[in-house]
Amino acid sequence: MQLVSEFLRNVSFCQDLNEAARSKLAELLISKKISAGAVIFREFDDSDCLYIVKSGRIIISKHVQDQVDIVLTRFHTGDFFGEMGLFDTSPRSATAQTETDSVLLRLDRKAFQQVFSDEPEIAARICYRLVTVFIERLRATNDQAREAIRWGLEATGFSPEPQRSPFGRRST
Amino acid sequence: MADPAKLELLNRSGDAGGFEIVQIDSLHAYSAYKPRRLPESDWEVTPQPKSADGTRQFVLRNLRQDSYVLLNAGEYFLWNYFDGRHSLEEIGRAFYVAFGAFDYLLIRQLLGKLYGCGLLESKRLLDFQLNRGAMRDSRWTTRLRWNWMKWCALSLRVPHADRVCSLIYQRGGFLLFHPFTFWLSAAAAVCALALALRFGQNASSFAYFLKARPWLISGVMLATLISASILHVLVHALACKAHGRRVRELGFFLLQGIVPTFYADVTDIFMSSRRARVIVDLAGPMVEVVLGSIAIVAAQAVSAGLGQALLFGVGLALWESALLNLYPFNFLEMDGYNILADLTAMPMLRQQALALIPHLPERLLNFKSLARAEWLQLAYLALCLTSVVIYVIVHIDALRALIHFS
Repeated sequence: MQLVSEFLRNVSFCQDLNEAARSKLAELLISKKISAGAVIFREFDDSDCLYIVKSGRIIISKHVQDQVDIVLTRFHTGDFFGEMGLFDTSPRSATAQTETDSVLLRLDRKAFQQVFSDEPEIAARICYRLVTVFIERLRATNDQAREAIRWGLEATGFSPEPQRSPFGRRST
Repeated sequence: MADPAKLELLNRSGDAGGFEIVQIDSLHAYSAYKPRRLPESDWEVTPQPKSADGTRQFVLRNLRQDSYVLLNAGEYFLWNYFDGRHSLEEIGRAFYVAFGAFDYLLIRQLLGKLYGCGLLESKRLLDFQLNRGAMRDSRWTTRLRWNWMKWCALSLRVPHADRVCSLIYQRGGFLLFHPFTFWLSAAAAVCALALALRFGQNASSFAYFLKARPWLISGVMLATLISASILHVLVHALACKAHGRRVRELGFFLLQGIVPTFYADVTDIFMSSRRARVIVDLAGPMVEVVLGSIAIVAAQAVSAGLGQALLFGVGLALWESALLNLYPFNFLEMDGYNILADLTAMPMLRQQALALIPHLPERLLNFKSLARAEWLQLAYLALCLTSVVIYVIVHIDALRALIHFS
């Protein structure tokens, strides 16, 4: 448990927590080993927990058509994902799959809600950090949307540089 | 141009959990795209004479927008396939068979160029592209470039230039292009040359008269040169009309963003022959030659004194102006340069030569691989540089002499 508590130092949403708070949170986490290629959750699955990557690499994707997904992002050691599941009961918005052998720490919604009622100060600190992460991810999503639009425009032959034909003759 | 946008896809295999990650950039999406050019009634194309390296270029004109684009042989080949029936994959294959190599970037650049000139059927995209031109970028380099472009684009234009020129041409302008006018001008020039040689012996007395009234002389010279310059561009425009082509603009602008000057946009002459282009180029400087000749002949008719010196000085200044205009190697696109570009069939000689500069060390190290056109560009650069250096040296000496004199 001590090791997990130490590890949480590097997890962004735990950075404002003191040693005691981290220990309390560590007690609520469930460790899970997953081999490469395994699906952690699929898009539209029930959503009821958050995962912290203790080791390995996770790929988050969204289904496009048939067997093809678009890769949204990757998570590495110290990152966390599935945080929407802590706050609402909507189905998962994307699929999470391990790209390499990984170890995850799971925080269930119920346990998180328990923290809210028992330790409101800890919960507030976690929430504040989570909001900053949400903002970062929203920005990344905006960048990704822009990139997808650029892709589409370029695919039609559109050039983002306004191209003026330099050809002409002005006799002086 | 920025790197192509990339999408990262996760492709699931049939096995549980198995997948592969594939990156595709936007160039891949071209394969199924079928570009469609405007209907044939909305454009015209004119092949240009073969250039020094044996290649031929083509000038494509959008009749809807009155815009022009220069295509090389490869681009023209692609243009012929942009009929809305051939996918880019098919076009790429045909290009490979014809030219032995193919790069999708070539198509991307050409599509950008054609969209820019409105030659492809895609109005909405074109509108977007034009609007983007007004976007403001915070990077200072982009802002600087933008401001420089705006500065270079500053101009005063005569409204309905083509209609004005047509009227002038019909109401007597055509006489300027009659063979009789040409022979009369040639005779005047020969007479003036003989007289100028004779007047040369009186140079010191002319200089004495001219120095006595510097403000008057400067004013008269300036007014004459400005008037001649206006007539010069008008005659360019009339020569263009004489060949049945359109005058796009007539006005005043900063040549290459530096030299304030009058201009006539005669791009439409590219839809005519090379001979027609050279005649249009020569027609302008002929104004200075003829006016200069008239001034020198008139100097003979007046009695010795300030009037004679002034007329002789004006004549010489006009001749010098014609010579400067006809000199091609000064980095400026004046008439001499245009004649050179026409004779070598390299209408973008200056731009290509300037674009060569950043690659010069690398190209000179492998000079054996230099194409004939690149040798010409190098020669153009070298002659321009030498001319500018000589011009500066001569004028520094003149400046010193002036300081010493004062």
